[in-house]
Amino acid sequence: MFTYKRSDLPLDKDAHSRFLPWLIAFMVFLAVLAFAGILVLRETAAKWDQGVGGTLTVQIAMTDDPTRDQRNLQEVLNVLAATSDIERYEVIDEARMLRLLEPWLGAGAKAGDLPLPRLIDVSISAGSKFKIDTLRARLGERVPEAAVDDHRVWLDRLVRLIETVELVAMLILVFICVATVGTVIFTTRTGLSVHREAIEILHLIGARDSYIAAQFAGRAMLLGLRGGLIGLALGLPALLGIGYLAESLEGGAMPDVSFGIVEWAVLVLIPLAVAALAMTTARITVLRSLARML
Amino acid sequence: MQFQGDTSIARFENVGLRYGLGPEVLQDVTFTLAPSSFHFLVGESGAGKSSLLRLLYLALKPSRGLISLFGRDIATTPRRELPPLRRQIGVVFQEFKLLNHLSAFDNVALPLRVAGVKEADVTRHVVELLEWVGLKDHLKARPPTLSGGQQQRVSIARAVIARPKLLLADEPTGNVDDRMALRLMHLFEELNRLGTTIVIATHNMALVERLGRPAMRIADGRLNVIPGTRNAEAKRESRESASPSRVPSQAPSPRPSAGDDDVPPGIEQFL
Repeated sequence: MFTYKRSDLPLDKDAHSRFLPWLIAFMVFLAVLAFAGILVLRETAAKWDQGVGGTLTVQIAMTDDPTRDQRNLQEVLNVLAATSDIERYEVIDEARMLRLLEPWLGAGAKAGDLPLPRLIDVSISAGSKFKIDTLRARLGERVPEAAVDDHRVWLDRLVRLIETVELVAMLILVFICVATVGTVIFTTRTGLSVHREAIEILHLIGARDSYIAAQFAGRAMLLGLRGGLIGLALGLPALLGIGYLAESLEGGAMPDVSFGIVEWAVLVLIPLAVAALAMTTARITVLRSLARML
Repeated sequence: MQFQGDTSIARFENVGLRYGLGPEVLQDVTFTLAPSSFHFLVGESGAGKSSLLRLLYLALKPSRGLISLFGRDIATTPRRELPPLRRQIGVVFQEFKLLNHLSAFDNVALPLRVAGVKEADVTRHVVELLEWVGLKDHLKARPPTLSGGQQQRVSIARAVIARPKLLLADEPTGNVDDRMALRLMHLFEELNRLGTTIVIATHNMALVERLGRPAMRIADGRLNVIPGTRNAEAKRESRESASPSRVPSQAPSPRPSAGDDDVPPGIEQFL
């Protein structure tokens, strides 16, 4: 694959195309990172969706009447117990509430200082057909003070953010493709003018445009593949390094970034895709330029 | 477009050529090349010989007039159908135009490869032809390492390897000595005898007279035909066509005279 077959044009001696593999390597390096970014974001969004989506919180606002508060709580617990598809529910006690609020209220806050609502953490069984609206309606009938929060608003915002970042990464990929195509076009055009005389001779001998284009396309594919492999060779260690750093970060928010076989395969295919892109670009460039010749 | 019954190799009618907005370098050029004919193309340097040849090998399009090659009007022939026409034309360029990065072998192989001939056949034909022109020991040599005469032979081998119907040579004897010039002329006569139509541009009038073939003379952009002195038949024929618009077709020439020692036997097998 790396030994160049006989060519009628001395394209392999061209000084101007020597930088092409390195430019392509740089593009592929960026493409690998951008693509890995997209994959990580996808996975992250899916995991958060799953993690947060399986839970909801029931909140009961406090009234001035402690007996009523107690009755409300009992009523809600009864409803939850009667609802199918609920795996587990747990009333968050006041001490834990205060601990959660400590960053805002300070360490000195005591139970009873503030009218804190009662929170009940509910887990829904995975894969069930649980409908939040049914629960909301049933609770609203019996306990007007109760509110059901399924984290949707918060999650939607997060997902929107991730989608935006994903879109930016995709735009980067598009820019990388455009830049690669542009580079190949300029290199090919330079090659055409450098070898103008030899191309004219080939034409006069009866060569078809496609015969000449094939030589440029073959060369561009080789350079593209070479650059793609260099870029991949640089990109993969960078990716593994980032993954390692992310893992060593002690954050529950940072999800696991390990890829499956498909993801790795797609990353490895990037150099081949770039080689094909370079080849096609060179071929079209040559055919379009030659069509203007006699 | 195919002309009914047009069996000519090349036909020019009122062809004019100008470069850009300059004056016409060729004016009202009209002639016909019959199959198996042999013509010289003579004229002062700069008279337009090379331009006429360039029109013939499709490196230029005329500014006006009709050119038909092998019965096809080139003005109406789409670009993608030109390569098959070009493959029937062999050209010996004045400055050889060999590809310097390719070996003698690869240079001669080009027309076959371009036409998609199988590599095994390419090798066989090219080696045989290069042996025949005496370059057996230089198959791998690049043109810059060859002498002028050797390069010329490579360039002639490239022009004839694909058995063209029309062979055009621009000053093929321009930079060789008289002996070599005559030797090359014998080669062209041999090719002509085997059916190739030949046009040789030259300013070497002694050579033209010696071979006695008809000559097309370009002066002031116009073309006139001078009949050859080769044999009575050709002379009579050319006298009959008084108008210069039609070049007499050359009757099949007799076997070249003895002393044709420069052309090794067996060229038929290549051509």
